[in-house]
Amino acid sequence: MVKKHQIRTTVNGEEYDLLVDPKKTLLQLLRENLDLTGTKEGCDEGECGACSVILDGKVVNSCLVLAVEADNAEVTTIEGIHRGEDLHPIQKSFVDSGAVQCGFCTPGMILTTKAMLDEIPDPSEEDIKHYLEGNLCRCTGYSKIIDAVNLAIKHSK
Amino acid sequence: MEQHSAVGKRIPQRDAVDKVKGSAIFTNDIKLKGMLYCKILRSPLPHSRIINIDVSKAEKLIGVKAVLTYKDTPQVKFSISPTWADKLPLESEKARYIGDEIAAVAAVDEDTAQEALDLIQVDFEELPGVYDPVEAMKPGAPVIHDSVENNISKAIHMECGNIEEGFASGDLILEDTFSTQAQSHCSLETHCCVAICEPNDEIKIWVNTQAPHALRQKLSYALNIDASKIHVITPYLGGGFGSKIDLEPAQAICILLSKKSGRPVRISNTRKDQFISTRIRHPTISELKFGVKRDGTIVAKQARVVMDNGAYNSHGPAVLLYNNVMFSSLYRVENIKYEGYLVYTNKNWGGACRGYGDPQATFAQESMMDMIAERLNMDPIDLRLKNANNPNEITANKVRITSCGLRECLTQAKEASNWAEKKETKSKYRGLGIASMIYTGGGSIGSGFNYSGATMQINADGTIHLSVGAVDIGQGSNTILTQMAADVLAVDPEAIRLTTADTDTTLPCMGTFGSRVTFCAGSAVFQATNEVKNMLLEEASEILEANMEDLEMKDKEIFVKGSLGVSVTFSELASRAHYKRKKTLIGHGYYNGPEVSDDFDPTSYVGYPSPAMVFATHIAEVEIDPGTGKVDVINFVAAHDLGRAINPLLVEGQIEGAVAQGIGWALTEDLKFENGKIVNPNFHDYKILTIKDVPKITSILVETIDPNGPFGAKGIGECAMVPTAPAIVNAIYDAIGVRIKDLPATPEKIFDGLKKI
Ligand code: FES
Ligand code: FES
Repeated sequence: MVKKHQIRTTVNGEEYDLLVDPKKTLLQLLRENLDLTGTKEGCDEGECGACSVILDGKVVNSCLVLAVEADNAEVTTIEGIHRGEDLHPIQKSFVDSGAVQCGFCTPGMILTTKAMLDEIPDPSEEDIKHYLEGNLCRCTGYSKIIDAVNLAIKHSK
Repeated sequence: MEQHSAVGKRIPQRDAVDKVKGSAIFTNDIKLKGMLYCKILRSPLPHSRIINIDVSKAEKLIGVKAVLTYKDTPQVKFSISPTWADKLPLESEKARYIGDEIAAVAAVDEDTAQEALDLIQVDFEELPGVYDPVEAMKPGAPVIHDSVENNISKAIHMECGNIEEGFASGDLILEDTFSTQAQSHCSLETHCCVAICEPNDEIKIWVNTQAPHALRQKLSYALNIDASKIHVITPYLGGGFGSKIDLEPAQAICILLSKKSGRPVRISNTRKDQFISTRIRHPTISELKFGVKRDGTIVAKQARVVMDNGAYNSHGPAVLLYNNVMFSSLYRVENIKYEGYLVYTNKNWGGACRGYGDPQATFAQESMMDMIAERLNMDPIDLRLKNANNPNEITANKVRITSCGLRECLTQAKEASNWAEKKETKSKYRGLGIASMIYTGGGSIGSGFNYSGATMQINADGTIHLSVGAVDIGQGSNTILTQMAADVLAVDPEAIRLTTADTDTTLPCMGTFGSRVTFCAGSAVFQATNEVKNMLLEEASEILEANMEDLEMKDKEIFVKGSLGVSVTFSELASRAHYKRKKTLIGHGYYNGPEVSDDFDPTSYVGYPSPAMVFATHIAEVEIDPGTGKVDVINFVAAHDLGRAINPLLVEGQIEGAVAQGIGWALTEDLKFENGKIVNPNFHDYKILTIKDVPKITSILVETIDPNGPFGAKGIGECAMVPTAPAIVNAIYDAIGVRIKDLPATPEKIFDGLKKI
């Protein structure tokens, strides 16, 4: 039997005490143990960004982070960003701009956008492309994703 | 112009809110009580005889609940149709490519299943492999399927008019060869399914398929299970692009493992599984010969195409047919010869992939058109206008064109791209390129079927409930189908409840492919909703004591025109119908068309029966870095004749996404093989475009209002992929004079080309 590790972590504002397999990734922890399936797995090797979550303010590929690394940390997933009944302005911008097709890349795109805007509230087009480069989308061709980010920036002003 | 309340509006996807919240459930999010996890043992060799499979050790591993080999599966081969059947869920005698399914395990978790695979002992006898379709056609080449001579799965020989006389009447003859590479669909969601076998032997499978109803039929056939015992449900689906139309061996395996273990089983491809075991775009080699008059009239054209099928058929035979149809019907040419070969090799099998053989045909033909224009010293747009298809014409290969906006696409794209001015002021290393295309905008009834059903019902509480068998795979059909229904009933699309993609609760629909959902499912929705509308009006005319023609609908109420205040609600009407008259308010719609003409030849697809053809023109502007050979696409114009845009916002999304896939295929995407093995099965080495690589795309929607389409609409999904690569390659030539004839146009090829000038 593999020895499990005890961790304490805050996910979307809720605290958890968990026993985790040291080999498990944060992505597996979120999806399998906490049933937070909004975080998607597109490659499991750090290449697509579908699994992006915010860990202590920084966006990470949760498939590359071990669950034990979330010990004493704060994690935000797509399930944790809307405001009560209302969508987060970034979520709303993605809907209104037509930036969502199949929606598989969407949670990762939104969280990366959120981490970017938390860091630089008024990013240039170049900043946007730099931040979102690691988030692949096969459906939209990205044009409407850029529109969505720009709309979100406008909303936040 | 007619007024529309919902059709033509830029409405965001109705499912988008679920998707941005992360609450949309995809197949891989489904977890059932007691669920097992499946892993598949795949052939490590490209071509081999299976001598023995020993699973005894794997079966004994703790946590393993079932192991499956060919001995547990019915020996029924499958494919798109029984005629082409050549694949077993688990192979019994031979493995024909690296990745071929040999055995499978269901265990309590994925790690245990993986461990069990390592304990399965397979004795293979290695056979010589063949990886190049031209080699595979030669006498004496290794035989991949015993009954198939020269590995040629399908051949097409077609001639229209008189090819010899045609060429003889030309002033200029041009010949050249063009080749295209394998592309992976790369939907971000990999293939996945969850199956459960109920105690009464009924099977329920949640699966990310583009065609749930067709899948039920195929599973029934391959597993020898009555279709009435199979229930297919498709949850939210994370992109398909053709990769999710087939019956996947994994789906059959999942069901059989669930039967054997008595527990629910889930199988989810890893990204590597996805690259090495799901379908790809068929590579092709196309030798073309064109004859033209000095004024640009094409008098004859000929193609000899070798298409690399890979190890199994899947859609290959139909993809070859489409390659012929689209090559032959673009432009008005009387004398055409097409010779095509679909050839087995020991590599990953090709399948449906956005454009279905048309991107390969169009890359070759539209490169050739540019070469002709140059030789004739003619503007490439003028050359295309000279030969453009017209509305209401029958092509030489007997394709019936109804609406056709090719000329409008050409002229509007020209204007939007600033073609004339940019050509005048051309700067070094910058270039403009153009390409056009034809495709179907509503599937085809060539296989005998092109069906889509819809049901519309009004409940006593006023609920409007639409059910369709079609699947929204991300393109937005759920939204546009409810827009169409809403338009008929003059309600807000949001007011319509929608059920889709469930074989138990929706009328059959062939599925989401062939750019057919807007046209076919849309026609069914239109018919079903109009039937209900008439029922409502009939009821209302009795109650309101007015003629049906004098009634008007709005917000789920029916009024007498001009006398506001006198009205009856949908709910009142439905209650009266249900409770007093014991009648339901249900309308049905069923599309299956068009009529097949007498001159249809199923072996060559002369007389190809499509309900509507679509046309497009793309213009790309590129800049080349002479130091590295890197191509930057800096501007892109895409003009599409789509009949009518039911929802321009979503149409633009289809165009932008398909152009991005087309740019990828043109420049970076290349599934590379070494002795049958894919050497770049990951997103690091197989490069799809990122947000940094995509130019601004200007979409032009040419609305020709098709006489048969619902609200005049035709399809769009696949079309914008098709002319993208040739537009780019033509732009590269315009920029630096290097003609790329084999895709992709990598920096190395361009750099080498520059050195040679
Ligand atoms: S799943 Fe983590 S980057 Fe792709
Ligand atoms: S919307 Fe499908 S991958 Fe981005």
